[in-house]
Amino acid sequence: MVITPSAPLLAVEKLSVFYDQFRAVDSVDLTVTPGEIVSIIGANGAGKSSFLKAIVGQGGRVAGSIRFDGQDIAAWPTSRIVGAGIALVPEGRRLFPTLTVEENLRLGWDVGRRGGMTAEEVFDLFPMLREKRRVPAGQLSGGQQQMVALGRALLSDPRLMLCDEISLGLAPAIVNDLYALLEKINRRGIGIVLVEQDISRALNVAHRFYCFLEGRVSLAGVPRATGRETVMKHYFGS
Amino acid sequence: MAFRSPSLAMLACRLALLGGIAVLLLAPWLFDSEGLAVLTQFLTLLVLALMWNLLAGYADIITVGQHAFVGIGAYAFYGFAALAGVNPYAAIPLAALVALVAAVPAMAIVFRLRAAYLAVGTWVVAQVFMLLAGKLPGFGFGSGVSLPIAVAQAFGTDPAGRYTTIYLLALGLAAVTLISTWLLLRSRIGIGLTAMRDNEEAAGALGVNIVRARILCFLWTAPFLGLAGAIITLQNLRISPPASFSIIDWTVFVIFNVVIGGIGTLEGPILGTALFFVLRAYFSDLGTWHLIILGVLSIVVILIEPRGLWGLLRRVLPGDLIPVSHRRAAAAGAVRAAPERFEPQPPA
Amino acid sequence: MIDTIANVLLQGILLGGLYALFALGLSFSMGVMRFVNIAHGDFIVLVSFLLLVLTTALGLNVFVALILVLPVTFAGGFLLQRFLLQRAAGSDVLLPLLITFGLSIIIQNGLLQTFGADSHVLAGAGTLQTASIALTSGIYIGVLPLLTLLTAVALVLGLDRLLNYTRLGSHIRAVADDVAAADLIGLSSGRVYALAMGIVGVTVAIAACFMGLNMNFDPTSGPDRLLIAFEAVVLGGLGSLWGTLAGGIVLGIAQTVGAHFDTAWQLIIGHVVFLVLFLLRPQGLFPKY
Repeated sequence: MVITPSAPLLAVEKLSVFYDQFRAVDSVDLTVTPGEIVSIIGANGAGKSSFLKAIVGQGGRVAGSIRFDGQDIAAWPTSRIVGAGIALVPEGRRLFPTLTVEENLRLGWDVGRRGGMTAEEVFDLFPMLREKRRVPAGQLSGGQQQMVALGRALLSDPRLMLCDEISLGLAPAIVNDLYALLEKINRRGIGIVLVEQDISRALNVAHRFYCFLEGRVSLAGVPRATGRETVMKHYFGS
Repeated sequence: MAFRSPSLAMLACRLALLGGIAVLLLAPWLFDSEGLAVLTQFLTLLVLALMWNLLAGYADIITVGQHAFVGIGAYAFYGFAALAGVNPYAAIPLAALVALVAAVPAMAIVFRLRAAYLAVGTWVVAQVFMLLAGKLPGFGFGSGVSLPIAVAQAFGTDPAGRYTTIYLLALGLAAVTLISTWLLLRSRIGIGLTAMRDNEEAAGALGVNIVRARILCFLWTAPFLGLAGAIITLQNLRISPPASFSIIDWTVFVIFNVVIGGIGTLEGPILGTALFFVLRAYFSDLGTWHLIILGVLSIVVILIEPRGLWGLLRRVLPGDLIPVSHRRAAAAGAVRAAPERFEPQPPA
Repeated sequence: MIDTIANVLLQGILLGGLYALFALGLSFSMGVMRFVNIAHGDFIVLVSFLLLVLTTALGLNVFVALILVLPVTFAGGFLLQRFLLQRAAGSDVLLPLLITFGLSIIIQNGLLQTFGADSHVLAGAGTLQTASIALTSGIYIGVLPLLTLLTAVALVLGLDRLLNYTRLGSHIRAVADDVAAADLIGLSSGRVYALAMGIVGVTVAIAACFMGLNMNFDPTSGPDRLLIAFEAVVLGGLGSLWGTLAGGIVLGIAQTVGAHFDTAWQLIIGHVVFLVLFLLRPQGLFPKY
């Protein structure tokens, strides 16, 4: 796919995130254009999750600017950001265990833009969830829970989805399915930011990638144009 | 702060503390009976504040039922001195013993609850003790009973002498409470509790059995509260369920005092209780508004500075006035000794 | 003999209905927000005084007054949570405890200043307060206690439906499950908490109405109501509204049985039964969490 130059959907400039004195993210610049898949790779503690949370207005104190569709959203409350079309699929899925699958999905609709997909369309996308719709989410397998988490985000009709470690703890076959689904979602024109520890998966699916090292961007580029050794060098630092 | 250097401020605080101690020691010669009565109240409330602070500020037991043990002490003292005819001086430590005994079954219930549930649970237990006290034959049932004159006169035949004796008993109790609690906090157990409060993982590394330490603290407070109850009875010359087991007087005021002064320090309860008496002297004619003002003040203080007024002062002071402080070095040392168990993890 | 036993049990169950009404709001806030509102009983008493003013000064029927008061207490709960209690959300035990303790003191002393220390009872329900139905020759059921119990059952049903079959209910359960996750996906927990507290306000008004009709109250009655409510919630099991109803009924029966032998022991027997049952079954009758 050729990336057509267009106004960025998300433009982050000099973003820093602080937890008390600790600077988890340090002056990061990052853009996502509409319909793009951008991967963020990096070691544990590189600041990837803090970065995603900061975009939706959660976590530590932020400095710098976050522009979504031209508007500065850095000071917005999360509900307004989600309502504007950014959905986070949080690390560890974070479903509400006593709520049924359907209720969990429904929450996505309630907090979102109230358009786009319906629950039935999500069930078309994840057929195995349809028969579990009345089951409490806490009783699902890890892979099924991840599908609900993705479905919940989709129901909020996002223009940008932030996916945090969706492959964590899942069997490779299931991860393959999830990634196939991600590309399907992306073809609907939804931009995706993918935080991933599995470097090869992250680079295979992405149009562009950023590598985080100790809170900073150590490398950014297009996967196919970047050598594996270069990536590894910037992944671990030297 | 008008002080130019922290050490000067420290010196001023030390002088204030020493001056306060000197006044308390010389009080029988400095004050009339009325003044001594107020100071006696101050000292008993100080004991209650130190005990609540030990539980809430160090042992993570936020109780709203400590008036139970004050009342039990009061009733036990009356029982021994007025009904059983025990020497009134001997009845005081016996009252402490009864309070300690009553704390054991109370613990069985209290320690099965957590956090806010624990708080209300202690209140239920206190309510049961209060209602039971009102059913005891010989104790005047619901309306209470006065202390026989003979018991009161054992502490001095003339009122002035009696006030002095009761004052000295209260002073002794406060001194013993403060010093022994200070020693407890400086012991291994105290270090463990402080470490737990500040960082639970570090406490684990210290190897202190936290459950046992909390039980010890709970049992520790009961006899002191019972002694305070006995002295309060001597001063009021009467017992009754609503007064001896008063949640407002022996628990709510005390919580407000500790929170305003600074929870989790030794200076805080002293400062808060002293301030309470200053405010009471100026605002006593406000009646019930006095309570409302205290309540609002404590909420404002905890929202602004969770460590209370002493926390505010501590920002300009270089150290603690009453150093429980070697705990920090010891805790840090213990952490260094077991580094693999305590590694600060930056948020991912 | 059988008649006596049946009568005592029946009266106990009816009394339990009133206790359940005290407890349902507390159960809701303990289950959803995981905090114990020390001022819960004082809120009930405060609204009882409000109803007293409306019925005596304006001569309103007490149930008309209740309907007028419901939106006020909803708004009161909402605003209280939004502007005061929310500051304490997520902090340790002490701050919410202190704030609600402070509120309790303020309400009690404010009522004392305004109304004095006298006991009151709500009137204005016509013959309802004295009417009774004869079941057999020896057993009578008061219409008011029966209505109280039925209201408690209806309130449990209503809250249960609200929690399990409405959008707001699913939001409330989501926040109760995992506050941080709710905030992460843009479900503002502060707003949900405030709405939940508004619902608690509605239950408080209903409890206040039936408390005032069934028993005397004065400005310092709040703490006793809180303790009864707390005991009903813990006995029933945290997070279970039906459990709270059962807990209230257990306490009502315990007190009525105690009072049957000696009225002076009514309260103690209630507390002691609570403590014993709690030691035997700390998780409560119908634990949810």
